[in-house]
Amino acid sequence: MTIENSFSPGQAIAPVFRWLNINFHAAFEAFSDAINAALVLVETPLISGPPIIVITILSVAACLLTSWRTAVLVAVGFTTCFLAGLWKETMETTALVAVAVLVALAIGIPLGILASRQRRIELGLRPILDVMQTLPPWVYLVPAVILFGLGRVPAVIATVIYGTPPILRITTLAIKGVPRDRIELGRAFGASDRMILWKIELPSALPTILVGINQCIILSLAMVVLAGLVGAGGLGAEVTRGLTRMEMGLGLRAGLAVVILALILDRFSRATLTARRTRPLTGIANALRGRRKNK
Amino acid sequence: MDRVSFVAKLDDAVQFGLDWLYTNGAWFFDAIDDGLGEVYSGIEWMLLSPPYWVMVVLFGLLGWKTVGVTFALLAGAGLLGCAVMGLWDETMSTLALVLSSVVIALIIAIPIGIVAGLKAGVNRYVQVAVDVIQTIPPYIYLLPGVALIGYGPATAMTATIIVAISPALRLTALGIQLTPLELVELGRANGASSMQMLFKIRLPLARPSIMTGINQSLMVSVGMVVIAGIVGAEGLGFVIYEAIRTLDIGKAIDGGISIVIVTMVLDRISQGLGAEGAMAAQ
Repeated sequence: MTIENSFSPGQAIAPVFRWLNINFHAAFEAFSDAINAALVLVETPLISGPPIIVITILSVAACLLTSWRTAVLVAVGFTTCFLAGLWKETMETTALVAVAVLVALAIGIPLGILASRQRRIELGLRPILDVMQTLPPWVYLVPAVILFGLGRVPAVIATVIYGTPPILRITTLAIKGVPRDRIELGRAFGASDRMILWKIELPSALPTILVGINQCIILSLAMVVLAGLVGAGGLGAEVTRGLTRMEMGLGLRAGLAVVILALILDRFSRATLTARRTRPLTGIANALRGRRKNK
Repeated sequence: MDRVSFVAKLDDAVQFGLDWLYTNGAWFFDAIDDGLGEVYSGIEWMLLSPPYWVMVVLFGLLGWKTVGVTFALLAGAGLLGCAVMGLWDETMSTLALVLSSVVIALIIAIPIGIVAGLKAGVNRYVQVAVDVIQTIPPYIYLLPGVALIGYGPATAMTATIIVAISPALRLTALGIQLTPLELVELGRANGASSMQMLFKIRLPLARPSIMTGINQSLMVSVGMVVIAGIVGAEGLGFVIYEAIRTLDIGKAIDGGISIVIVTMVLDRISQGLGAEGAMAAQ
């Protein structure tokens, strides 16, 4: 009975990937270029600006959007990353997370709204989301690397795949949880479906959706750091170097920077949440008002 | 220029500190290494010594008991598939790492979870700690292990234990907290001691929540164990890591498929156990 090692589906599937790579090279290339362009767009101001000014701007933004506590955390945290000699890497990782999260939100929120409208779509998506949320993140890197090679593009793609399910789920949940009477009220005033969505449903669902965004950010950071293994650069690459070459000083420094970044991102997204919940006006509106008063 | 030398000095200091820690605490870290290594190799031996088809049948039976016939057949077929792909040993190593880490994590998490569920003061600190642990990317937890224990399964296990503790702890505390008040009152009225109260009333009622926690612990453990391939933990993670480095696409896909199979089998079986427990509790 030796059926062990008798068949490898991978060897059977590999030619398909190779064929895709050869015949749709232009499409993959265009896709990579688009993602790279987005990364460069986010990254350039963060990296090329003098660190002190970037840190100041980010802290002021944190102060306006959330609270002074978060601002202090941002200032101290990023300064530590800078002193640890990992400024460029920290900003690269931040850019990767930002781009991946934006794409995940752009996919997840509309699909989530759609799923809350159409029961069939929700039922169809559910098993897929279940499987996606069960699988370990490593698994997503494999096909991404096969199709896009090593580098930052597969990292962004794997991160988007990993980060989309929670935000999609929570959006569906949030829209479904909007009290019926509010929608009825809108109908009674003759609001169109579009107006009901934008003026009633989305604002009422916002606090829950923000919880989803927080989760999406934390998961994305985990994936982006892991993607250091496939050449995504940033802090993940430094951690990987520390782990594989036993350069523990570097590894621990990079690890510390990752922890700081995780805490900053978590605090920041959560603080926006509470700022919105405690005050009737959104944090952004408050920030704008504050700025106008200063003028 | 100043900053560069500062960073170099920092690295030297860290290296020096680790060296000192290692020379003076060698007995301690070696004990952890040996202890965890023993647990792991024991479980691995149990999984690997029978021929693969015996294990496939056993997993099929377990799936049949906990979930149902269809799942049992699928699980059997899936695991047979791992053997067919020539990844049987790696699959079992991964499973052994997951099981040994989760068992140790539960031994730590459940008692702390019970205490946290009973005492609100403790719970506050536990929640903060668990929040921080879950916010930090899991990859980072490999660093202290590599620094102090070195490459090998023990490092993989320390990292896995850290990530596996949080969901089990959180859900145990939640389950204990949410015991309906009238049942607690009932126990008190009947003169139950606090031990009886815990074991006869609170724990059985918290069982579904605890089982969900165990399920989640298993899932995050699979994720971590697979990542740990990079620090020399044998198993499917190492297969994929090697395959990606050598650009062996076929092998990487095989490894990925095996991981999916292991994840699904563990997920459904532990969920099945939870559902059974819920029924037993009622």
